[in-house]
Amino acid sequence: MTTWEITIAPLWPYLVLILVGFLPSEIWRALGVVVSRGLDERSEIIVWVRAVATTLLAAVVMKLLLTPTGALAAAPLIARFGAVLVGIGVYFLARRSVIAGVIAGELILISITYFAFA
Amino acid sequence: MPPAPLRISHGAARCFVVNSLMDERANGDERRDGEDASGSAPSPGPSPVLRGIRDALVLPAWIVGFSLLGVGSLAQDVGFPFLAAVLSTLLMWAAPAQVILFGGIAGGTALPLVAVAVSLSSIRLLPMTVSMMPMLRRPGQSLLTQLFVAHYVAVTVWVESNRRMPTMPPQERFGYYLGFANACLMVATTMTGIGFLLSAAVPPFLAAGLLFLTPLFFTIALIAGARTLLDQSALVLGAALAPLFTLLVGPDFDLLATGLVGGTLAWLIGRGRR
Repeated sequence: MTTWEITIAPLWPYLVLILVGFLPSEIWRALGVVVSRGLDERSEIIVWVRAVATTLLAAVVMKLLLTPTGALAAAPLIARFGAVLVGIGVYFLARRSVIAGVIAGELILISITYFAFA
Repeated sequence: MPPAPLRISHGAARCFVVNSLMDERANGDERRDGEDASGSAPSPGPSPVLRGIRDALVLPAWIVGFSLLGVGSLAQDVGFPFLAAVLSTLLMWAAPAQVILFGGIAGGTALPLVAVAVSLSSIRLLPMTVSMMPMLRRPGQSLLTQLFVAHYVAVTVWVESNRRMPTMPPQERFGYYLGFANACLMVATTMTGIGFLLSAAVPPFLAAGLLFLTPLFFTIALIAGARTLLDQSALVLGAALAPLFTLLVGPDFDLLATGLVGGTLAWLIGRGRR
């Protein structure tokens, strides 16, 4: 290794974090600040943008469930979707309690994954 | 007459907190409080900043916190240093992108490709920021302040703010938002560190459960926040069209295509109703 490489090596994860993690995601927030200049919160364009954002979020959730990364990939597909459906069901049954839905969904996923590993 | 002096001192306290946080001119806030007195009803109780912190600590901050506990544990598995893992939450503040970053490094994917994947997964932040900023903008706010404010935009913050802020007096929104978002970010950053340190002790089925918190909570929070036909259509269309567009345009631009097509359809459905 050259002196330069020895100096830079400990900083490498931070460079990766800034260049590969921070900037590629932060750019959308910065762009959002610029694009939203002069827009009124009640304008029709904001209503449309909010619809796009909500749709995108639902799509992100769908992708996380269909093709998860990390440890979640080890959970069976049926467990991922079953747990979300149970979570939604319990949310409504518990008179719109978010925490009840989240706990129920988690219990289903963790127990199915536990037995799938066992 | 007892309520009047009480309310004024509360307003002054509010100004103080927001000013010390954001270095804004006190004059502007006093003027806004003047409008407050003549126009919309001031809300009673603690300052907006404190109410934001309180609402976050009731549940949302902990949900985000536990999902980032899973991310911290993943970062340790991949061999990222502790400080960089914790910083990833402070700087990126987007769990799915962080999972893609660490997963990509673990899989040995070329870094430029990981950067593209991270960026494509974070496109949602653009429409989220665009729809949030008009509620948070104040006269005389510098670009730097706006970029700082926008950095807090994340799903939990967006969903909860959209649910609560529109009915809030405009002058209270900024403080509420900062209180709520900072509480979420601080809890999540701490939990990332805890997840990193506990990584070896987290069995695979529990690690799966932690990463599952993100899609599970997003789903239920989105349903909880969807009160109009437009919102409900957007959720159904987003979930239904995402797999279709993955097949049609591939896994890179499917989110963008789903958002634009599904979002426009949902907007048209909402317009038809109004």
